[in-house]
Amino acid sequence: MRELFHEITSNLRNNKLRTALTGFAVSWGIFLLIALLGAGNGLMNSFMGNMADFISQNITVEGWRTSKPYAGYQEGREVRLDEQDVEYTQGPRWSPAVGDVTRQTGSTSVTFSLDGNTVAGQLSGVMPEYLEQNKMKLSTGRFLNPDDLKERRKVVVLSRAQAEELSPKDPEAIVGRWVGTGNVSFRVVGLYHTDETNMYRICPIPYTTYKGIYDSSDKIESITFTVDGPETKDEYEAFEKEYGTAIRLRHDVAPDDRRGIWIRNGYTDNMEMNDAQRIIRTFLWILGLLTLVSGIVGVSNIMLIAVKERTHEFGIRKALGATPAEILKLIIAESVTITAAFGYVGMFLGMIACQVMDKTVGQRTVDIGIDIGNIRMLVNPTVGLDVALEATLLLIVAGTIAGAIPAWKAARVKPIEALRAE
Amino acid sequence: MLIELKGINKTYDNGQPLHVLKGIDLAIERGEFVSIMGASGSGKSTLLNILGILDNYDTGEYWLDGKLIKDLSERTAADYRNRMIGFVFQSFNLISFKTAVENVELPLYYQGVPRKKRHEMAMEYLEKLGLTDWASHFPNEMSGGQKQRVAIARALITRPQIILADEPTGALDSKTSVEVMQLLKRLNQEEGITIIVVTHESGVANETDKIIHIKDGIIGEIEENKAHTAWDSSIIK
Repeated sequence: MRELFHEITSNLRNNKLRTALTGFAVSWGIFLLIALLGAGNGLMNSFMGNMADFISQNITVEGWRTSKPYAGYQEGREVRLDEQDVEYTQGPRWSPAVGDVTRQTGSTSVTFSLDGNTVAGQLSGVMPEYLEQNKMKLSTGRFLNPDDLKERRKVVVLSRAQAEELSPKDPEAIVGRWVGTGNVSFRVVGLYHTDETNMYRICPIPYTTYKGIYDSSDKIESITFTVDGPETKDEYEAFEKEYGTAIRLRHDVAPDDRRGIWIRNGYTDNMEMNDAQRIIRTFLWILGLLTLVSGIVGVSNIMLIAVKERTHEFGIRKALGATPAEILKLIIAESVTITAAFGYVGMFLGMIACQVMDKTVGQRTVDIGIDIGNIRMLVNPTVGLDVALEATLLLIVAGTIAGAIPAWKAARVKPIEALRAE
Repeated sequence: MLIELKGINKTYDNGQPLHVLKGIDLAIERGEFVSIMGASGSGKSTLLNILGILDNYDTGEYWLDGKLIKDLSERTAADYRNRMIGFVFQSFNLISFKTAVENVELPLYYQGVPRKKRHEMAMEYLEKLGLTDWASHFPNEMSGGQKQRVAIARALITRPQIILADEPTGALDSKTSVEVMQLLKRLNQEEGITIIVVTHESGVANETDKIIHIKDGIIGEIEENKAHTAWDSSIIK
């Protein structure tokens, strides 16, 4: 083994250009693969990963406007859910599957003012679980608690962006202060992060407070609840359909009128997101593998030329007593050594490139719309070591095959023909 | 009898069949210093290739050291070449990216001799041929005569039964040619190695003890030449 290694290293050392060319093809292929997968992962983490954060694992039911006539009503009728719907949802028919049920009132536009600064907002009455259900993150202070609801406190949670408008010098200092909205004032109890959410105008206040001040009816904007039981996407969809039909019929809405009463199924959304992620990942892999194929073709090509060029040398070796197996072994071992060594270099450089991407482009944020705020272009654009090693291993296997075909040809040439070759 | 050929026929078929060897019968004793002489196209190189198990023949029998050399697997052929035959070529056939000593070591590599041992042996043979100082030089840094001496060292290192030399002086000037032939003669006399030289030059053939003339694929006259009078050796080339 050591003999063979010595033979190979001396061969490679003495054929520097050939070694360099082959090595470059290999390094480049694996480098591109790693960099591509890294960038792809980064993009995906940025867009899909963040979105997956927003997709809360629960079902939200919201009354809209009917899109088809049903039960004697014309289309275009406004549908509003009410307290009875909440009770119905909590009721025995659904209780095995339905967990916590919360509700949210409609919203009222207000203008907050503090020390002469003003900012627009949408007050909405919510339950304490709202924070978790909407994947909001607090930056300062606290969210609404059950006592706020029980005592109908006039407290509000603002977005950080709003706090910056109202208190430009020290946004955090706004917590604990009272902000005016014309006739009613609210005490700010907390601020939530706005950089990754599209709901920064919504200002949650206790559900009961809202009902007391703005809307004394029993109408509500939406019902949100967790579901426990269904496991597959099909089961979730079946549940959604069954529940949807029931709740729609309660309001004389056609069972299939999705715009009459709209249901957002966070579970299936999440699964669909996972599917999309899988598809993109597969696509990236295919692209990467195609790049790798070009590297393999490069190795194969150079090995073919090298073998042709060395036919005479193999003739000499055969005359001196090299068996066909020896020749085969020599070429394949050379091919594997080159691909392994340079594949490793390419892998290493590719991982460095990923780090560089992370430190440069990855830190840059892009403003892609008013409501979404800023997102980072690439989040963690790296490839796992396992993937990198797999790719390198694949390349080595490919290198063996790439070397095997010309090697087999060379091993079969009769010594006298090989000696005649120039 | 070291080498015995019985009715060897060889036809090349490159589009048009070419009958190169037409029934060769030949016997060479151990320790002989023989030359095979003939014009180009006479079949002398083909004969040498068959003797060297580099090429196969169509009909007949070739016995080498009591073994029938026919339809051998490449593996066995390689083994026989390695252990029984040393080659010296016109164009030296040194591996260009290996140093002199590495070239000499190569046959031992295929015998599986450990590196240190084969390096020692290679150095020993290079010393014998006065090439110690050139051991770590590459072939392109050496003169023709030096290269041929490296090739001879490489042929000798496995202590073969036969040395097959195909136009060993073909690429050398007359002075070096004489030196190389003297070297082969000395090896034959001192070490008792059987040497077969293929040449078209009478001066070279005259250095050997027996001259086998080959013409149009048939053995012609076999000249005993112990006195080296077949040609005036002073006018090689």
